[in-house]
Amino acid sequence: MKIKIRNILLFLWLLILIFQIELIFGLVVLTGKYIILLFTDFNQAFQLIDFSLVDAILSVTLFVCIPIISFFYHKKLVWLKSSINFPAFVLIILFLAFCFAPLITNENPDFQKDLKVTKLLSPFSSVKVIRLKREEKNINSSSANFLVYKNKIIKQPFNESIIFANKVKISSSEILYMQKDLQKKIDLSKIEIVNGKPKIEEKTFILGTDEFGRDIFTRLIYGARISLLVGIGAVFVSLVIGLAIGFIAGFRGGIIDIIFSRITDLFLAFPVIYLIILILAMFGNSLLSVIFVLGFSGWMSLFKIVKSEVISAKNKDYIISAGLLGLTKFGILVKEILPVIIVPVIVNIIFQFSNVILAESALSYLGLGSGRSYPSWGSMIESGQQYITKAWWMIFFPGLILILTIFSVNDLGKRLNKFFNPAA
Amino acid sequence: MNKDILKALTKRIVSSIVTILLLISFLFILVRLSPGDPTQKFLSPDFSPELKQQVMANFKLDQSVTEQYLNFLGNIFRGDFGVSYDYRMPVFSVIWQFLSFTLVFTSISFLIQIFLSYYFALKSIKKSGGLLDKLLSKSSLVVYATPSFVLGVFLIFIFSAKLDLFPSAGLKSLDFDSFSFLGKLWDYIIHLTLPLITLSLAGIAMFYKYLRDNLEEVYRQDFILNLRASGYSESTILKKHVLPNAVRPLISVAGIELGILLGGTLITEVIFGLPGMGRLMMTSIFSRDYPLVVGCAFVAGLLMIITNFIADLVKMKMDKRMIKGLMN
Repeated sequence: MKIKIRNILLFLWLLILIFQIELIFGLVVLTGKYIILLFTDFNQAFQLIDFSLVDAILSVTLFVCIPIISFFYHKKLVWLKSSINFPAFVLIILFLAFCFAPLITNENPDFQKDLKVTKLLSPFSSVKVIRLKREEKNINSSSANFLVYKNKIIKQPFNESIIFANKVKISSSEILYMQKDLQKKIDLSKIEIVNGKPKIEEKTFILGTDEFGRDIFTRLIYGARISLLVGIGAVFVSLVIGLAIGFIAGFRGGIIDIIFSRITDLFLAFPVIYLIILILAMFGNSLLSVIFVLGFSGWMSLFKIVKSEVISAKNKDYIISAGLLGLTKFGILVKEILPVIIVPVIVNIIFQFSNVILAESALSYLGLGSGRSYPSWGSMIESGQQYITKAWWMIFFPGLILILTIFSVNDLGKRLNKFFNPAA
Repeated sequence: MNKDILKALTKRIVSSIVTILLLISFLFILVRLSPGDPTQKFLSPDFSPELKQQVMANFKLDQSVTEQYLNFLGNIFRGDFGVSYDYRMPVFSVIWQFLSFTLVFTSISFLIQIFLSYYFALKSIKKSGGLLDKLLSKSSLVVYATPSFVLGVFLIFIFSAKLDLFPSAGLKSLDFDSFSFLGKLWDYIIHLTLPLITLSLAGIAMFYKYLRDNLEEVYRQDFILNLRASGYSESTILKKHVLPNAVRPLISVAGIELGILLGGTLITEVIFGLPGMGRLMMTSIFSRDYPLVVGCAFVAGLLMIITNFIADLVKMKMDKRMIKGLMN
């Protein structure tokens, strides 16, 4: 029996649903509350928009929609029926991490607290969590009410009402807890009490923590987002540049063709990473500039493909008649030429995608990536290198994920190539 | 025939020179476009406009863009990239100190790649479909997908941190000078083992895959069957007929691989803290030593153009048909 991609997708969907049912329910309620707020107090609702809120609402909406979409469109999406293999499985997981990062993990990737306890924990180690009582204020306005609810559901990079500890002892009036070799006390009245007992949970870090006590699993999930985002963005940029220049050079020919071909030779002659580093050093590095520079340095092969295809197509009858019928140059490109060249372009784009992911992680490793503000696999490895004797998990997991990702994307490109050109 | 070769050579040289000119222009555009006014770097805004004018004139910034461009061009041809802020020396002599290491390092790695991949490809084609062949083919895919910095860090973890067999960084031990000649050589070898593995493994995987596929394709052709039927021994077929046909296309791949290698050295040098041009460029970026950064990028591009040129020469030498290909 072969397992189909659709089944795996639904299985993973159910897995997330079962494990995070509380969080997803909370987010659905949050979305509902936000919609109500939009209708009652539009100005306040507009001011409350921030990235994490939009992110959470979008991902939970998409999450709810996935079974509906796959139910209605399962006939059209043929690839959902193809059987699963290991690289496809990896890609599906990456896709889910990209779309549903806030649903898969219940943490903020930058969350740090009580460094003494949580620093450099090995995988599957657990710590005790003491929850402090939240101060209940009387809230009247609907927007403030919403804000309180939002802060409860969406995790922030800091949380004052949590204490991590290694050991906890409960006495009649106070709680003694150990943070490494430091003993501290806290009054029982400050602690959240459930069913007459102080609420003390155990928290397990599946893949351990880094030097700032941040959960590595969460950072990996959010790092997938950065990698895929940079990949998609850069590929899109090089697609636009390659298509445009290739089309112009192929269609016009003559001196323009010669100039562009020379420029392409120049870019091919430059060791790409030196070019990227040079531009990033000159213009500063941020997420956007990384996307643009990586896209800017990868259009050469696309240019060559598009140009040769345009040259072979431009004297064919259907292109000439399309021009005579009054189709604009842009129209000819989109309607007549693009469908012809879409196959080699897609295969090229996939390989380009894996190159970009590799380059982004290498840049992050060198400290020239999207900066410290986003968790990236490359920068995780870079910071792990300092703790190489103490914390193997800091380099092992990001490295493994990176290898798997690039391997899977390469494999996808190879399969597509075989599918489109069975002879080769 | 001789005339053809000369013509092809001239054409190749001219196109290389054009590419170098384009490279210089591109660098000039980048430097011009980069944010920040050079006068602001040396003057506080309180100074009088006259002083600013004087500084502008000193740096020839009051001239038109074309004149500046010509100046830039002339300086580069004279080997003058300006003065490094950090080293207080002309950029070119700074790069020169670091370049030799990079060149030696990449050449060794390149040789290792060629020989090992050749060896492995021959081994695996001898028993095509055998266990070794399957193992090498599968693992070459994984190795090819491994980023060099991940590989380097994993190697450091296994061989330096856990097993303590090789040093994790640097080119020499602290007491290097007290060693005898053989001791010095050994010191270099143990320091360079991990970096060389890191740099070479991906290239070995790529060459191996390419060479193996080529060999298989040549073996499948009819003339090999004919030779076998005529009673030639397998080793003669391999040496005289299969290998020359399979190796030829490899040379153009080797030209591209040299470029990848140059990028790979940058990362490898950073991981292992080796004194090469790549690490020089990275350190000068973080200390905002821009003349040095531009100089490194220029030298890297120049190296790439030269190696491609050499690859084309070798191609011409090996296959006369390439001359016609180059002329078009």
